[in-house]
Amino acid sequence: MNKRRSIQAKQGRAGWMFLAPATILIFIMSFWPMIQAFIISLKKGSSANMTWQEPLYHNYERILQDTTFKTAMGNTFLYLLVEVPIMLILAILLAQILNNRDLKFRGLFRTMVFMPCAVSLVSYALIFKSLFATQGLINSALMHLGLISENINWLGTTATARAVIIIGLIWRWTGYNMVFYLAGLQNIEYSVYEAAKIDGANGWKTFWSITVPLLKPTIVMTVIMSINGTLQLFDESVNLTNGGPANTTITMSHYIWNMSLGQGVAKFGYASALAFVVFIMVGILAFINMKVGDTRD
Amino acid sequence: MKKKVVSLLLVSLLAMSSMAAMVSAEDAVELGGTSEDENTLTVAAWDANFNIPALEAAGEAFKAVNPDFNLEIQTVSGSSDVEQAITLAGSSGDYSQLPDIVLFQDHYIQKYVMDYPDAWQSLGDAEINWDDFGEEKLSYSTIDGEHYGVPVDNGTAIFAYRVDVLEEAGYTLDDVTGISWDEWLEIARNVKDKTGYALLSMDHSGDDLPYLFMQAEGQSQWADGQPNIADNETFKRIIEVIVQGANDGTIILANSWSDYTDQTIIGDQVAGVCNGNWIIPTIEQNEGASGKWEITTLPTLDGGEGYAANGGSSLYITGNCGKADLAKEFLAYTFGGGEGAMDTYDNALRNGGVITCCVSASESDVYQEGVAFFNDQPIYTAIVEMGTHVPVIEQNDYHYRMREYVGNAITNIINGADIDSEIANAQSQVEFEMEE
Repeated sequence: MNKRRSIQAKQGRAGWMFLAPATILIFIMSFWPMIQAFIISLKKGSSANMTWQEPLYHNYERILQDTTFKTAMGNTFLYLLVEVPIMLILAILLAQILNNRDLKFRGLFRTMVFMPCAVSLVSYALIFKSLFATQGLINSALMHLGLISENINWLGTTATARAVIIIGLIWRWTGYNMVFYLAGLQNIEYSVYEAAKIDGANGWKTFWSITVPLLKPTIVMTVIMSINGTLQLFDESVNLTNGGPANTTITMSHYIWNMSLGQGVAKFGYASALAFVVFIMVGILAFINMKVGDTRD
Repeated sequence: MKKKVVSLLLVSLLAMSSMAAMVSAEDAVELGGTSEDENTLTVAAWDANFNIPALEAAGEAFKAVNPDFNLEIQTVSGSSDVEQAITLAGSSGDYSQLPDIVLFQDHYIQKYVMDYPDAWQSLGDAEINWDDFGEEKLSYSTIDGEHYGVPVDNGTAIFAYRVDVLEEAGYTLDDVTGISWDEWLEIARNVKDKTGYALLSMDHSGDDLPYLFMQAEGQSQWADGQPNIADNETFKRIIEVIVQGANDGTIILANSWSDYTDQTIIGDQVAGVCNGNWIIPTIEQNEGASGKWEITTLPTLDGGEGYAANGGSSLYITGNCGKADLAKEFLAYTFGGGEGAMDTYDNALRNGGVITCCVSASESDVYQEGVAFFNDQPIYTAIVEMGTHVPVIEQNDYHYRMREYVGNAITNIINGADIDSEIANAQSQVEFEMEE
């Protein structure tokens, strides 16, 4: 009895020792800055010499009156609601197609779909920017095809600028999510599909009744990651449109940047409060998602 | 069990991705700090075609009298790199990464001195004749009568026109000099009809024209530290000019700075450019138009020549500089109008197109020469002369935020929104941002 406990304790200790480096690093590099950000969010003034805000929650109170932040929030949620479903459905369909054993050059196609993920966010944003410039490739292509009669100002018009950002996001991230689905699909026994085939289920039916339910944990994970990523969207807004026209494509993170290091404003207290609000939003959405995705209880 | 694994995975992914976002967002540039060698000064600056040749010229000039002297130039990609490094150093209280001298845009020094007083050293005892410089330029870097910066360039605004295009439409440079904005809009429409060229363009993500046009009227967008654009008749009329021009197609609003320079100016879409004179090297990149450009002053609302300034930067000695005497001596001897000023500014002009606001240095022969690209017009001496007329107007730390909200208002007005409510809206948004 005694001996067994000591073995258990020993194993427990070993376990903790293995966990410790990662835990300590995450705490120092991620959780501690979060706590600091919260403390800063209660302060105001020059970042060299910050003083407590009066009342303490004033920065949070201010957010409620901040029309630009509301615009940024609206934009970000628009990207979220439009882009995430399209991207994930595309990713799951692509995964399904590329999981087909009879498909030739599977590896090649998988690599090609995944490739955009290897591109840096800034570079792809800049490439999209030049593609969709008023004198850019897309306009001249459409012009030569006779589809348009004069150049479209893609990035200077609200609707098209948003569409370009969404197209960019889909291009950049679909392959990334597809890889998760492909991995998930490997865990589904092929015999299940064969059984379904024998029972006379068509591809569509198989997809919805077998693939989707069995992929659920992966879907939940990708949805949470996509939500998290979209709420922190930064590079596209900064590099593709610079938030314009008239702030109609600015994201929350971009606005936080403007309030802190951008344009010499250096309102770190207020920017931290904004960042904390985003953090809470991510937390709530992730929580809801995990509850919805949970079928065990 | 499986659920636990998944949730653990999720938590770590969340943490990792948010960490990655933070890292990418604050990927600040290191400016390199100072040098241990007592004869070496380090300086951080940007623009290999403009500021860097000017600094090199100054380094050479000072070296001629101090053979041991060495100027180490750290080239960064833009003013914002220097600005962010200052903000980060100031916030952390650790100035050790700052070089001896930094160069950055003029609009920030007031706020930096207020926010991070330890980051700067006053130039009070440097041997510089401050009366030798344009008053408007110095107004940025002078705080409570104390000088902090030595000007490198001159932000005086020019209005450059393609005289061949004007001629094709039946106008001369005189016809567009000293006119009112209404007359200008009329001329612009005719030029557009007859030649297809727009007569002006603006970077619509930076929106500097409203500021320039206001200054040409002798007015500021600020009064007593607060925005002053709502119920401001002059400002409203200026916005109406820009909106009218945009609707006529005579003022092109480019989506970004690179569109503004590469497509509208170098891409030969406009027959007119109005900006700080540092835009000249950009205009000159369209080599096909050599000899066809000339410069003049800005129009004003009620007619008459308008003078303004935009952009430009100055050199500042940081709190990290342990060789302040050497740094002051260097700045005074070169950019500060000392004995090496003539050499410095002549080479800065030849190699980088940097125009001084130091009046005595502009008397050199190089400044009197006609410039072939500008139809042999002696543009440099003309610009220095214009610079002496630029009115000093109230500045504010929120200059760039104001520009952004004014730009938003312009977009919305072009899209049909009411001008008064949009201007009032811009004013209240700037006011909101300024509150603590």
